Amino acid sequence: MIAQFFLSALLTLVLIYAWSQYRRSQVIAMLSTGAAAAALYLVWMPSHATFLAERVGIGRGVDLIIYTWVVISLLMFINLHIRLRGQMEVITKLAREIAIMKAFPPAKPLSGHDKKSGQDDEQSDHQPG
Amino acid sequence: MSACSNQDLWVVVAAYNEARAIRGVVAAVRQAGFNILVVDDGSIDETGRIAQLAGAMVIQHPINLGQGAALQTGIDVALLAGAKFIVTFDADGQHRAGEIARLIDVLSTSRADFALGSRFLGRAVGIPPARRMLLRAATVFTRLTTGLDVSDAHNGFRAMSRRGAQSIRLRQNRMAHASELLEQIARSGRKYVEVPVTIDYSRYSKEKGQRSGDLLFILLDLFVGKLHR
Repeated sequence: MIAQFFLSALLTLVLIYAWSQYRRSQVIAMLSTGAAAAALYLVWMPSHATFLAERVGIGRGVDLIIYTWVVISLLMFINLHIRLRGQMEVITKLAREIAIMKAFPPAKPLSGHDKKSGQDDEQSDHQPG
Repeated sequence: MSACSNQDLWVVVAAYNEARAIRGVVAAVRQAGFNILVVDDGSIDETGRIAQLAGAMVIQHPINLGQGAALQTGIDVALLAGAKFIVTFDADGQHRAGEIARLIDVLSTSRADFALGSRFLGRAVGIPPARRMLLRAATVFTRLTTGLDVSDAHNGFRAMSRRGAQSIRLRQNRMAHASELLEQIARSGRKYVEVPVTIDYSRYSKEKGQRSGDLLFILLDLFVGKLHR
């Protein structure tokens, strides 16, 4: 019974987390919710877990719960990857803005070519690298 | 090149640690009479300084972000500079500056928004057989996922009109940007043409180019990109 309460608390946290991520990635949020809800059900219905495990060829109900947990972990991992990617996009925008502000015009402009932005003129004495 | 003056055209080069090759690339493009913008993607060597001294406008990312991010930065800057045509060009000397004009000519005469270079319609000089097979597989994948009837999926030598460039927003910072760009072209519904180009594989460019193992990361990036809003 202690294990059931402990697992339920953890799975409830997973459910809350999955819902909170719905705006970021619907697919991951829905899959995580489904996996966590299924795991919660199996924790409290161990006989059903055993029955299901036998039907899908796993053998023991507890193994089915462990596999479900592995699936949840994988989904969490993908979600973290997505969050990192989101942060990388923000960093990219920031780095791009900084780079554009510090543009270096050519040392030898093309003949007849004098089109430069005000920023470029302002930075013309800078050396890259 | 009848449709535009050379000043309307910007050649965008994404470069990362290309100190050995960038001078020749910039010189060749300048000799052909075009503006060149080198986006130094956080190189730890002298790429940016060498490119500037050779006559390129240089934008430097403060950190290394990847080729896709560098190209998007270059496209943004070229648009800000008023470019009517933008050409993307590799920094490792694989592409021939003498073919830029032909790319723009085809783009103009066909009234397309994108002219995509194809080494398989043109020539791939010294291409290793394994690279050829990898690129063929990538092309089949691109055809299946985008519906575009292209013969070369990961060729960095391409030209786009201002309107075409404005419809591109690369979010794949690294190598998957080539597939993403084709996806965006397909989604935009804008006209594209393929143009035969020559790609020269040197020992240097082969060292710097994509490897077979990169394919897995490209597929992973594309997959995660689909999940991410």
